[in-house]
Amino acid sequence: MPDDPKAAAIPRWREDFPVRWDDDNYLTRRELAKFLTLGSALLAGASGVLAIAGSLRQTPAWPAAIIPSATALLPGTSLLFRYPTEADPCILIKTGTGELHAYSQVCTHLSCAVRYETEGNTIACPCHRGFFSVADGRPTAGPPTRPLPRIRLESRADGIYAIGVEV
Amino acid sequence: MHTRQQGAVLFSGILVMLGILVVIQLWLVTAGLEALLAHETAVLVPAAVASVVLLAVNVALLRYVVVFDARVRHEDRGPQS
Repeated sequence: MPDDPKAAAIPRWREDFPVRWDDDNYLTRRELAKFLTLGSALLAGASGVLAIAGSLRQTPAWPAAIIPSATALLPGTSLLFRYPTEADPCILIKTGTGELHAYSQVCTHLSCAVRYETEGNTIACPCHRGFFSVADGRPTAGPPTRPLPRIRLESRADGIYAIGVEV
Repeated sequence: MHTRQQGAVLFSGILVMLGILVVIQLWLVTAGLEALLAHETAVLVPAAVASVVLLAVNVALLRYVVVFDARVRHEDRGPQS
């Protein structure tokens, strides 16, 4: 038998069900508010981690590589080359007005190889009918949402060089 | 209206606000991840700052809920000598 007379007055079932029925809603709502705030703290932390990861990311030093046969390219045609490594296919385009543009040949949708279409002066991905602008590589139609990585070019005495990648 | 009933309505409103702010933070994280993968790092710090501000608002709302809850409980118990 308990020594405390107050404890003896409390029925046994109250020990198993300590929360009053009308307090129950209150309790669960308070817990939910705490849970949401904890989730909020985790999401703020995740945003902070992303910001730190973005500031730590360094721009790589790109090598300069000559693009073979680039000077012989005719207006309205394109040429395939690889830059910065042999595993990175790229496309060099000479527009009808004589401007040179180079982009990664890997479609930003599902990595199919894009190609230059003289009619319409556009870059097209044949897999899912995605289209990119020749002027800046931005998607103009179809499923791609991100622009093609641009290859920076430099004209030197002995030919056209690829000198970097703008993602 | 009884204080407890007022509290229930208040809790519902605050919970909806907390939920909306958490969804906005979730959107900020997904947009930040997308920007990081696209190498557009300029938006990451403003997104993180916005997320921290939303967290501060959430903490303030939770604190208000806890303080209000404690007051209601104190009133329910009545004056104790």
